[in-house]
Amino acid sequence: MTEKDKTIEIRWHGRGGQGAVTSAELLALAAIEEGKFAQAFPSFGPERRGAPVLVFNRVSDVNPIRARVSVTNPDIVVILDPGLIYITDVTSGLKEGGVLIINTTKTLVDITSELNGPWKLAVVNATSIAREMLGVPIVNTTMLGALVKATGIIELESLTEPLKERFGARAKGNIDACRKAYEETEIAELSGIVEKPRKTFETETFPSWQELLPGCVVTEAGNAKQYRTGDWKSERPVLDHQKCIKCGICYLFCPEGCIGQNEDGYFEANLYYCKGCGICARECWTEAIKMVEEE
Amino acid sequence: MESLAIYVPRLVTTKEYFAPGHRACMGCGEALAVRLVCKALGRNIIIANATGCMEIVSSPLPSTSWEVPWIHTLFENTAAVASGIEAGIKVLRRKGKYTKRTKVVAMAGDGGTADIGFQALSGVLERGHDLIYICFDNEAYMNTGIQRSSSTPLGASTTTSPAGKVSIGQTTWKKNMPAIAVAHDIPYVATACHSYPFDLMNKISKAIEIKGPSYIHILSVCPTGWRLPSDLTIKAGRLAIETGIFPLYEVEKDRYTLNLDFPQLRPIEDYFKLQGRFRHLSKEITSQIQERVAAEYAKLKKKATSNNY
Ligand SMILES: Cc1ncc(C[n+]2csc(CCOP(=O)(O)OP(=O)(O)O)c2C)c(N)n1
Ligand code: SF4
Ligand code: SF4
Ligand code: SF4
Repeated sequence: MTEKDKTIEIRWHGRGGQGAVTSAELLALAAIEEGKFAQAFPSFGPERRGAPVLVFNRVSDVNPIRARVSVTNPDIVVILDPGLIYITDVTSGLKEGGVLIINTTKTLVDITSELNGPWKLAVVNATSIAREMLGVPIVNTTMLGALVKATGIIELESLTEPLKERFGARAKGNIDACRKAYEETEIAELSGIVEKPRKTFETETFPSWQELLPGCVVTEAGNAKQYRTGDWKSERPVLDHQKCIKCGICYLFCPEGCIGQNEDGYFEANLYYCKGCGICARECWTEAIKMVEEE
Repeated sequence: MESLAIYVPRLVTTKEYFAPGHRACMGCGEALAVRLVCKALGRNIIIANATGCMEIVSSPLPSTSWEVPWIHTLFENTAAVASGIEAGIKVLRRKGKYTKRTKVVAMAGDGGTADIGFQALSGVLERGHDLIYICFDNEAYMNTGIQRSSSTPLGASTTTSPAGKVSIGQTTWKKNMPAIAVAHDIPYVATACHSYPFDLMNKISKAIEIKGPSYIHILSVCPTGWRLPSDLTIKAGRLAIETGIFPLYEVEKDRYTLNLDFPQLRPIEDYFKLQGRFRHLSKEITSQIQERVAAEYAKLKKKATSNNY
């Protein structure tokens, strides 16, 4: 099999609502536009807006694609949210000589020291590009530009039609963001041994299905408490003690029920669960809560 | 805004029966509504819960967010399963094997209530079972990807009623489920919303005390399906009530009470403009909806005032 016959496999790591599914679809459409074979599909689960999601692409120059399984040994990994590096195994199965593309505010040097391996590493500050060009921190189309720069899997121009088709009047901003990311993406060829970043949370201990009672009975009431949803957030609530009058309104309206009263009577969010919806900040009548971006 | 006393924790139990770690979207109003309902229900209950967002996000095996006895049911038989549990308890009690006063609660989304589970619900209300049926109305089939239900309001864009050049979105008026429940002549029917938590919890407490079926219809804002920033969930719920689109009322043996009455309703644009699902609506359609809202509200108000004989 020649290099040209090979099917290139891509895995996207994003969060629900970030548009990873859309980017993968756009990439597939652009590849098809070039006369290639392509496929895009997400991994399904009960994970919602803010939750980590996986999306897959396969692209081939000459061969129709018959595989219908998720990509476990990707040639390319794209990470839309830098926080995901510390909570999921983003480089899992990434082939030697593959490409890892990350949206991050960190420099190439800094990120290399955290995530070294035998691959090509590309970084871009897609969040700031998206904010500038689109007015919102939705980085999916921006990251397409970085992907094209780092891999050359398609021509940048091939994305124009699919973007127009999908976004209509809003296509221009997306095309510009894509192009800017293409220009600003920095690339390094690494050869180091794999170093995986340290995870920020301990793992959960749920029973396996074999251990459950017949009829799928869960006997440990409320054991979902072990499951951290805190890593879904991109913003966290920060309390100004000077302004807080300890009324508890924030506690009442939190959909996670994760705000509790501490010894000093202040209402503090438990960041293990807080998804960063911003309701507490919006509803606090003394404006004691501010949402600040997660790093 | 509901007059919230200054110090909330003195007014509600700090106990949670709907544990964090659930997988609802950030800012989910339905999850908040469930949490508040569970607070008001307390420990001594058994819940039967239909497929839908709240079932999926609360109980992906092998984890569960429920701190009370809970059973998963299908769309079409939630009310039937709940009535079976209630009947079972009754028998055990008659035989002297069970003495606790346990309330049975059925929960479903608007799809599970107004569409697919409708027959079982009607049967339960007709047979007069001693249980509470709660509909969490996020105005579409959200769990499977924002498909319209019969509870989707006119003009809302969903994936199966998409707005475009030839369509305004949903083409029928929202099914009036509370009115249908009232027509079954049951002891207690109420509407509620998570944006008015004390009103909501009071209604649940009332329903627990009632003998026979109660039906509670809770407007649950869905930032994902309504295309709304996640921090505006509470505000959107308030606007639904302040515009008269979703009035808060209760019906006790034919007696109507408007829990929050406004001398002047806010224009519905205030509510619409927050949400992406209504963004396409023309002036004509909006004023048509405005007229309907005013008329429905007036009807309700008349019923509420004619009580006071
Ligand atoms: C008979 C049947 N048809 C379809 C489905 C698939 N299904 C699961 S959840 C769901 C939508 C639920 O909508 P709703 O009841 O409004 O609850 P929500 O998810 O909006 O909270 C559908 C269609 C099913 N489980 N059973
Ligand atoms: S709502 Fe604001 S003032 Fe009240 S307890 Fe929360 S942070 Fe403090
Ligand atoms: S941002 Fe506030 S309301 Fe939202 S989950 Fe976090 S603590 Fe709760
Ligand atoms: S889709 Fe809507 S109702 Fe379902 S979990 Fe998300 S916000 Fe809640």
